[in-house]
Amino acid sequence: MLRSMTVPLASTPVIVTHDLRKSYGPKEVVRGLNLRVGRGEVFGFLGPNGAGKSTTVKMLLGLVRPTSGQLQVLGGSPDNPAVRARLGFLPEQFRFQTWMTGDEFLTFHGQLAGLRSAEIRARVPQVLERVGLAGRGGERLEGYSKGMLQRAGLASALLARPELVFLDEPTSALDPIGRIEVRRIIEDLRGEGVSVFLNSHLLAEVEQVCDHVAFVRQGQVLRQGRLSEVMGGDLRVRVELDTAPPATLNILRSFGPILSQQAQPAGTVTLEVGLNSESQVPELARRLLDSGAQLYALTPLRPELEDIFLELVGQSGEAAPAPTNAPEAAHA
Amino acid sequence: MLKFSDFNLNPRRVGLMASLSLRESLRKRLVAVLLILTALFVGFYLYGIYRMYLDFLDRPGGLDPVTGELGSALIPVNFAAMFGMYLVTFLGSLMAVLSTVGSVSADVESGVVQSVISRPVSRAELVAGRWLGFSIVNAAYVLLVSAVMLGGVYLITGFMPPNPLAAIALIVLSILLTTALTVLGSTLFTTLANGIGVFVLYGVGMAGGFLNAIGTLVNSPVMQTLSRAANTLMPTNELWLGASYHLQHPEVNAGLKLSPVPNPLFGSDPVSPAMLLWSICLTVLAVLAAMWHFSRRDL
Ligand SMILES: Nc1ncnc2c1ncn2[C@@H]1O[C@H](COP(=O)(O)OP(=O)(O)O)[C@@H](O)[C@H]1O
Ligand SMILES: [Mg+2]
Repeated sequence: MLRSMTVPLASTPVIVTHDLRKSYGPKEVVRGLNLRVGRGEVFGFLGPNGAGKSTTVKMLLGLVRPTSGQLQVLGGSPDNPAVRARLGFLPEQFRFQTWMTGDEFLTFHGQLAGLRSAEIRARVPQVLERVGLAGRGGERLEGYSKGMLQRAGLASALLARPELVFLDEPTSALDPIGRIEVRRIIEDLRGEGVSVFLNSHLLAEVEQVCDHVAFVRQGQVLRQGRLSEVMGGDLRVRVELDTAPPATLNILRSFGPILSQQAQPAGTVTLEVGLNSESQVPELARRLLDSGAQLYALTPLRPELEDIFLELVGQSGEAAPAPTNAPEAAHA
Repeated sequence: MLKFSDFNLNPRRVGLMASLSLRESLRKRLVAVLLILTALFVGFYLYGIYRMYLDFLDRPGGLDPVTGELGSALIPVNFAAMFGMYLVTFLGSLMAVLSTVGSVSADVESGVVQSVISRPVSRAELVAGRWLGFSIVNAAYVLLVSAVMLGGVYLITGFMPPNPLAAIALIVLSILLTTALTVLGSTLFTTLANGIGVFVLYGVGMAGGFLNAIGTLVNSPVMQTLSRAANTLMPTNELWLGASYHLQHPEVNAGLKLSPVPNPLFGSDPVSPAMLLWSICLTVLAVLAAMWHFSRRDL
């Protein structure tokens, strides 16, 4: 495809923010965000409700003015219409002019995006088809279900062949099939070299399609990086042996800390050992066998994204941080 | 701070936003309902004039059915036309406020604006297009109803005010001003607050007219100063008074000038050039202020 040939070096970031902040009155919603999203990445911005994800996306689109800090989108400012012409956006509240038909809505957005009318005529049925609304363009949006409206919003985000697409909770109104379809669309976008910024509080959604993630809570990024790095941080193996004499335990300790030890009903013992890298696994197996231990199983354990999420984010909801002298503490 | 880029307009995109506003007004069925109700109202009013015309045919010294001379019917017919146009202006202003009150705020409140502004259309273009589109709708409404009212009076009685076009031009200007102030309010406040605000402002303009009428009668400089302040803040009433001057037969005008009774509904002099100029400036300033403020706020 011609498109991918015009894409500059893969290392050029499509989004860079530096110490980005937003306050509403005294409330700090985004607190010192440093993000870097590379071209062609599918970037998952993951956090509980109220973490500041939508506010961040709105700042990246020029809808909300940052209180301080810098941001760059596609090498420029989102205040520049030429930059916005290369973006696609599905808002969290997908509210559109309900008096329009689906076709009129997309035509209007095509015109706003500066597409030529022949292009609009060709493109509208394509995007409708792609989001699963083929043949429904003649109906008024007020007759659309919530799911159809979200699909129409997705169609408008894809309409002008953007280089970078912002999807804010894109499957919130969709059924499981719809979610799979959106995942396919995101995978297709990745295949076309389009960068995607995906806001979500759904781990599964992010885990399945994103190659980079950032965990955010109360306006701050807790961890970000490649999905494999974020997940591969602490590798563990589960070892199942007939017995665990001190000699065997010493072998295990030479590889890493023993995190747990449990007797199994079948008479065996399982132990979890933390490793530094995956390359230690064969060596561990050999040492155990050489020592004469009866090895029943050796299973590398990848931490679930969910575990990392729970560990990092800890709590959900928008409760204010507990004051240091909480009443419970006074009773204790 | 003022940035030039806040006022940078691309005519194509302003046109797109204006045509969106036009289609929105026409599509929302509101216009159809309004036109039917307006037709009923104007028809009712013209029927009253028709009955008056029939009465005068029987009176000695009244209408001459052969020559078409109005005779003693001139004053009542002229007043009927002026009151009719007063109602048209009032209805037009009401319609302008109601149609435009949520032009920006409603889309901000619902979130519709987010998908629009994330496109390469500037906020200034959105505001300018909204004002232009609703101005066309509101002005077209007033033009249509004015034409029906004056045309109806003419068909029934044969009376045509001396300068109907000048009068209608002033009324349209007042509608454009009201539309601009309503758009400005729509970028500043919620839809409901804006509606209340613009009606209060409209009331201020009318209060200015009343204060002036009484202040002139009792020769009170303070009241006249207050009236001038109110009229400067909201010149729509001044514009109407000026328009009513162009609707008066010289005999009626002479009568109004000599009358010792204050008349806050009709003016006996044309609008001053300064007030005319200020009204145009205020319209432009309101749109510019709306563009400026909307370019700054969070959506
Ligand atoms: N316009 C606003 N005024 C005041 N507070 C706001 C506004 N928009 C968002 N917030 C607050 O900012 C926080 C983050 O909101 P949001 O960015 O929507 O979070 P998320 O998308 O991660 O769920 C929330 O606590 C929300 O109440
Ligand atoms: Mg959100």
